[in-house]
Amino acid sequence: MHELAPRIARYAKSRLPQVAELEVADVERIHGGASRETYRLKLRYRDGANAIERRLILRRDPPGSLIETDRAIEFAAYQAFHATSVPVPEALWLENDPSHLDYPFFVMEELSGFDASPQNILMPPYAAHHEKLARQKWSILGEIATADPEKLGLVGVMKPVAPVDAWRRELDHWTGVIDEDELAPQPIMRAAIRFLRRNPPPAPARAHVVHGDYRTGNFLYDKEGNVRGILDWEMAHLGDPLEDLAWSLNRVWCWARDGRVGGLTSKQNAIRIWESASGLRADPEALRWWELFSSVKGQAIWISSGREYQTGKNQDPVLALSGWWLMNAQDRAALETLGKLA
Amino acid sequence: MKPDVPKVLEILAGRFLFDIAPNVAPSYRQSSVGVSAMLLGIVREEWDRAAARRVDENASLRALFREGAGVVTDTNLRRRLEAAGASSDASLLISELEKANDALRALLIELHASVEQQSGAAARALEDAIWRELAASTERRKLAIAPF
Repeated sequence: MHELAPRIARYAKSRLPQVAELEVADVERIHGGASRETYRLKLRYRDGANAIERRLILRRDPPGSLIETDRAIEFAAYQAFHATSVPVPEALWLENDPSHLDYPFFVMEELSGFDASPQNILMPPYAAHHEKLARQKWSILGEIATADPEKLGLVGVMKPVAPVDAWRRELDHWTGVIDEDELAPQPIMRAAIRFLRRNPPPAPARAHVVHGDYRTGNFLYDKEGNVRGILDWEMAHLGDPLEDLAWSLNRVWCWARDGRVGGLTSKQNAIRIWESASGLRADPEALRWWELFSSVKGQAIWISSGREYQTGKNQDPVLALSGWWLMNAQDRAALETLGKLA
Repeated sequence: MKPDVPKVLEILAGRFLFDIAPNVAPSYRQSSVGVSAMLLGIVREEWDRAAARRVDENASLRALFREGAGVVTDTNLRRRLEAAGASSDASLLISELEKANDALRALLIELHASVEQQSGAAARALEDAIWRELAASTERRKLAIAPF
């Protein structure tokens, strides 16, 4: 039995005092998201005459992580989009008291039986459905862009931002991460940051919900080519919807290494789908700004992961791999956006 | 070292991926073994070129600084560019080459930011040379498994 099982059971019992014979089984740590330890588990109990079994996901703050994020925002995003046209699992419990499981955590429903791997999506049976997956992936992103954060109850949870300040807030934040965490000088990223500050993008009409990490690898898909769940909302915030579009187009997600964005379709097609679904226009110059920004943000994350690993805060090998595998690719992506790649 | 280091790393990575990982549970640990195999594969690729690419890059940066010293108007920066341009790698230890590379690339950031502020054909030509060096730096670091 996993050491967390009895502790999770005690916690679940406090949340469900009316049920009987409650037990937690099959607790298993899985890779999922960059910022939290993720566990899959089964919760079984008797509710009156009914025997219930629920498959759940528990996301617990780790000692160190790729991204320092606010679990309340991630939890709120799942709650906000549940039962909307944006498919997400149901969020159940948010717990900030570390006494239960040593660190804060939240629990949500598991959408089981689907895949999320950015490598598996390139292979059969999924490879036959790439255009369908692309249509759904960028349509859903368009729907996130059109969502009203106030109606979704996210305005009080996510930090407000004036549309005209959206770019500066994000650039300041991720530049700060590089400043704090870099283990070596970053001449390409420093040049990119200077370019971004000299050439700010136009402001969006309003502040939109930005998922913050919308890419192949962060959604669940099935064998028929349907997107079944949008995951990993840990970097969700209010801002410019082009930020999400640009991030989804980032060159480092070209997993098939053939230029198809997210390993699925052409960049032009992805933009067309997003524009059609959102009713917004992706101004090419503004989108270019956000694409370059997405390289800065990506590099900040790979730099942070390298520091976490090197300092011993978190020695999950995936953190070392992120730095080695993607930092140079991210530099090349920035150079390409700037028209400087030889 | 015999057997050759790249061969040892290649075989170890293969054993991690195909012999060990399938027999490891739970899936999180299995995945970590697979990731560790990828790390070994990257070290294998880097092993042979590690010193050469640092020596090449440090030499390219020093040449750029000698050129830059004749262009920049900031006297303090010019003096440091001249000193860096006249320096050399005293050791071929990777750690020493890396330390020198970090210092040179930090100076490159200063040079780039400074020349962006200068007008004139010489400044533009130097800026172009800096961009070419930055592009070349990513070619030196390219990995076979990288997505881009």
